[in-house]
Amino acid sequence: MDAGTAANLAAGIGMGLATIGPGIGIGYLTGHATEAIARQPEASGDIRTVFIIGMALTEALALYAFVVAIILLFVV
Amino acid sequence: MAAEESGSKIVEALHELNVQTVVPLPQVGPFDFSITNAVIYLWVGAIVVFGLFFWAARRARKEPGRLQTLAEILIGFATGHLCGQLGEKGKKYYYFILTLFTFIMVTNLIGLIPKPIALKPYTPTANINVTFAFAICTFVLTQYLGIKHHRAGYLKEFMTPPGVPKALARPLNILFVPVELMGAVFKPLSLSVRLFANTIAGHLIILVMLGLLLEFSGLIVIPTFIFVVIMMAFEVFVAFIQAYIFSLLSTVYIETAIYGSH
Repeated sequence: MDAGTAANLAAGIGMGLATIGPGIGIGYLTGHATEAIARQPEASGDIRTVFIIGMALTEALALYAFVVAIILLFVV
Repeated sequence: MAAEESGSKIVEALHELNVQTVVPLPQVGPFDFSITNAVIYLWVGAIVVFGLFFWAARRARKEPGRLQTLAEILIGFATGHLCGQLGEKGKKYYYFILTLFTFIMVTNLIGLIPKPIALKPYTPTANINVTFAFAICTFVLTQYLGIKHHRAGYLKEFMTPPGVPKALARPLNILFVPVELMGAVFKPLSLSVRLFANTIAGHLIILVMLGLLLEFSGLIVIPTFIFVVIMMAFEVFVAFIQAYIFSLLSTVYIETAIYGSH
């Protein structure tokens, strides 16, 4: 296996692995946000703001791996 | 790369992500001053933002027109929603946040508008240099504000938090100072990478799907097309959310610089 093939393989596997954590995180986040809104519908505005911020922060973790994958694919 | 060997339309579609020189200018030292399509679309974004607020301000009336309503909503959103926590001392920086928010949103949205190849389409925020420049603005401002409001006390921000016994605080500094310094450096880095990666990921998905659309034949075109449309709508949402996150995190950093984290 030469370096290019290894890089392509690493990009694919790494990207797949990197989505696991944020996936669990966003699942938790959405679940708890839904629960919170169901319990207190009058606070849904605030909850939505916090939810969106939390989601963007969680999603960013997968995107860091995405950047690494892009570097592996196009640069290495 | 493997895809390049197949010479497919996907690769052709991905050319939208390339920086192309429009007006070549001489290189000065390590800096290339050539005007590229990224620069041009940044100018377009700047003109749109400036024009919006300029016209809204020049033609301010009691009964707002369409432009004025839009400007008022943006200003109200930034000063009320984003900067609510900055307080009295941070009032000056409301408009920094407003500019950051509007400019990032407008450049994101400009990138989403489909353009003919002749216009050399490009999304400025899908370039790490551009987003890092935005983040550096926030970084410099936070450091300046920290020094301005705390003077020498600003150095304490990088040391062991108060409340730790003196005998313990000194040796713990060996641990705290590098970690806090690293945190300060990584703030703008994570800010810029977040915006850059979100934009480029969305564009890559859309472009790859469009490339597939050109390659496919038969009924599979229909779900692909629907997926592209949904992704496009989602990207409009992401363009707004990312501008919001970027400016909100900038607000948080500015707030901690003014009022201190501990």
